[in-house]
Amino acid sequence: MKQRTPPARWRRRGAVAARVLLVVGAGYACTSALIALAALVLAQVFGLARSEAVVSAAMSGFVLYLAILLWGFAEPRLWRVSAWLAGGAVVGHQLVHWLAPLAAAPIAAAG
Amino acid sequence: MGGTFRQSMAWLHTWAGVVIGTLLFAIFWMGTLSVFDREIDRWMMPGTRLAASTQAFSLDRAAAVVGPLLPAGASQWRIDLPTERVPAARFSFRDSAGNPAVRWLDPARYALIPDQETLAATGFLFPFHYRLHLKWMDLGYWLVGFAGMAMLALLFSGVLIHRKIFAELFTFRPHRRLQRSSLDLHNLTGVMCLPFHFIITLSGLIVFVGLYFPQAHLAAYGAGKAAKAAYTAEASGRYTRPAAGAPGRLVSLDGLVDRAEREWGGGRVNFVRVWHPGDADSYVELRRSYAQDLPMNLDQIYFDAGSGAVLHRFAAAPVMGAQRLIAGLHLIQFEHWTLRWLYFLAGLSGCVMIATGFLFWIGARRVRHAQRGLAGVRVVEGLAIGAVTGIVIATLAFFAANRLLPPGASLAGQDRAGLEMAAFYLVWLVTFVHAGWRPAAAWREQAWAIAGLALLCVSLNAVTTGAPLLRPASPALRAVAGVDALLLGLALLAALGARQLGAAPRPTAPVARP
Repeated sequence: MKQRTPPARWRRRGAVAARVLLVVGAGYACTSALIALAALVLAQVFGLARSEAVVSAAMSGFVLYLAILLWGFAEPRLWRVSAWLAGGAVVGHQLVHWLAPLAAAPIAAAG
Repeated sequence: MGGTFRQSMAWLHTWAGVVIGTLLFAIFWMGTLSVFDREIDRWMMPGTRLAASTQAFSLDRAAAVVGPLLPAGASQWRIDLPTERVPAARFSFRDSAGNPAVRWLDPARYALIPDQETLAATGFLFPFHYRLHLKWMDLGYWLVGFAGMAMLALLFSGVLIHRKIFAELFTFRPHRRLQRSSLDLHNLTGVMCLPFHFIITLSGLIVFVGLYFPQAHLAAYGAGKAAKAAYTAEASGRYTRPAAGAPGRLVSLDGLVDRAEREWGGGRVNFVRVWHPGDADSYVELRRSYAQDLPMNLDQIYFDAGSGAVLHRFAAAPVMGAQRLIAGLHLIQFEHWTLRWLYFLAGLSGCVMIATGFLFWIGARRVRHAQRGLAGVRVVEGLAIGAVTGIVIATLAFFAANRLLPPGASLAGQDRAGLEMAAFYLVWLVTFVHAGWRPAAAWREQAWAIAGLALLCVSLNAVTTGAPLLRPASPALRAVAGVDALLLGLALLAALGARQLGAAPRPTAPVARP
C-alpha cells in the first residue's frame, strides 16, 4: 500500500538530490574560495610567511566545510542555502582574483 | 530532512551512514590494522624477523654491500636505519627511469635478506586505508576525503540527536533482540570513544591538507610547477641541484650522521638518501627520526657528497609544525606501546560502531521494506555484509595466501605479491556474491568463516615458520606472537558474534528509535 502517489515521490527524491548536490558541491566551492581568500589575506595583510598562511587557511577549511554541511542540511529553506553558498563562492573567488596580483609578484621577481 | 533541527540531524545521520558506511568501514578496518603495520610486516615477511642488533649500524659498511645492486644512472638511493619495530635496514633506490625497488639488509651480519616478494601491511593494507589503491585521477584520495567529511558530519549529527548521551555509556542489553542490542552497542562505542573518533578523522584529513584544499597554495603562490615547487620548498623543505655529469666521490656517511646528530642535539637519524650517486654534484640528505616525538618533524640537512660541506638546513615553521603534530597524532610513528594499543582498541570500537549502525538500520527497516516490496534493505544488507565481514575475510585470505604461496610464484603475469593482492580482491568479490545470494544467513556464515580463517592463519604461520614460542626472544618475535594473539582474539570475537547473530530472533515490528 503506497503512502504517496508516484509523482510526489519523484518530486521528493529530486528535492533530496538537489539538496545533497548543493550542500556537498557548492559547500566545497564556497569553502575553498573562502580559504583561498584567507590564505591571501593572512599573507598580505597580516604579514604571515606565505607557506604558514597557506597551511593555516587550508587546515581551517575542514572545520568550515563541516559547519557548512551541518547547516546546509539543517536549514529548511533551500533558497537560503543556495544564496549563501553561491554568494560565498562567488565573492570569495572574485576577491582572490582581485588580490592575486599582489601575491604573484614575489615569485616573478625571484624567478 | 525533517521539520525540526533534531529531525534534520537524524535524517542526515541515517542517510550519510547508509550511503557512506561501507566505505567508512573499509577505511576504519585498514586503519586499525595499520596501527600494527610494522608488526604485521614481521608476520608476513619471516626473513625480517631479526634479533635486535647489539652494535651501532654502520652506513658505510651497508653502502659497500648494497652498492653493487645499484643500476647505472640511478637517480637516488636511500637507507632507512633499523629501529625497534623494524629490525632490518631498508635499502631502496630509483633507477634512471624512476622505477622504485626495495631490498632488506640484516644489520648484524651486513648481508642482504632474500626478496620477501610481498607488499605486506605497509605496502598494501596501509595504502588501501588512505587511497583505496585507486590511482586514476587521485580518485582514491578523494573518496577517502569525502568519507572523512561524512564521518565528521555523522559524529556531530549522532551527538546532536541523542537525548540521554551520558546514560548511553552504560547501556548494553545483549540479550534483547538484535536490533536493540545493536543500537546499544552502536551508541556505547560511539560515545565512549567520541574524542578519538573525532580527532582521528579530522587529523587524517589534515595529513593531506595540501591535496584536499590546493586552492590555498594556488591563491598564495599561483599556478604552475614553479609555484608548486616554491610552496613545497618553503613549507616542507626541499633542496635540489642538477647532476654535473662528471664522476665524484662519496664521503663517509657515518661521519655525516655523527655531525647531524650533534647538530640536532642528540636527535637520531631516520634515513639517509644519496641523490645523483657517483656524480660530482651528488648530495646527501639526512632526516631526523620522530620515534620519540609526537610531531613528525621535517628537520633535514643536506651535505655535499664529495666534501661533506653543509648545503641546506630546514626545520618546520610554527604553523607547519602544528600540521606535523596533528599528522603525528594520526600516523602515530612514535614508539609507545600503551598508546599504540589504545589506538588499536579505539579503532576497533570505531569498526564495531559502523557495523552495528548497519545492523540496526537493516533491522529497523526490514519489515517495512518487505511489506512495501522495496529493495532498499536487501541492497544495503548485501553491500554491508560484503563491506564488513567480507573485507575481514578478504584480509585473512591475504594473510593465508602470504603463508601458502611458494617463493617465485607467478600466474597470468602477476608476481607473488600481485597474487596475494589477487587473493584479497577475489575473495572479497566472493563475499559480496555470497551476501547477495543468501542474505538471511550471510552475516552468521561469514562470521563463522572469519573465526575459521583466523585460526587457519595462526596454524599456517606455525607450520611454515616454526611453532610459536611462549617466550619470544626478540622484539620481532614478540611482534609475530602479538599478531598471532590478535588473530586468535579475532576468531573468538567472530565466534561470539556469530552466536549472537544466530540466536537473536528476527523482529516482528520495527522498534521506535530514541
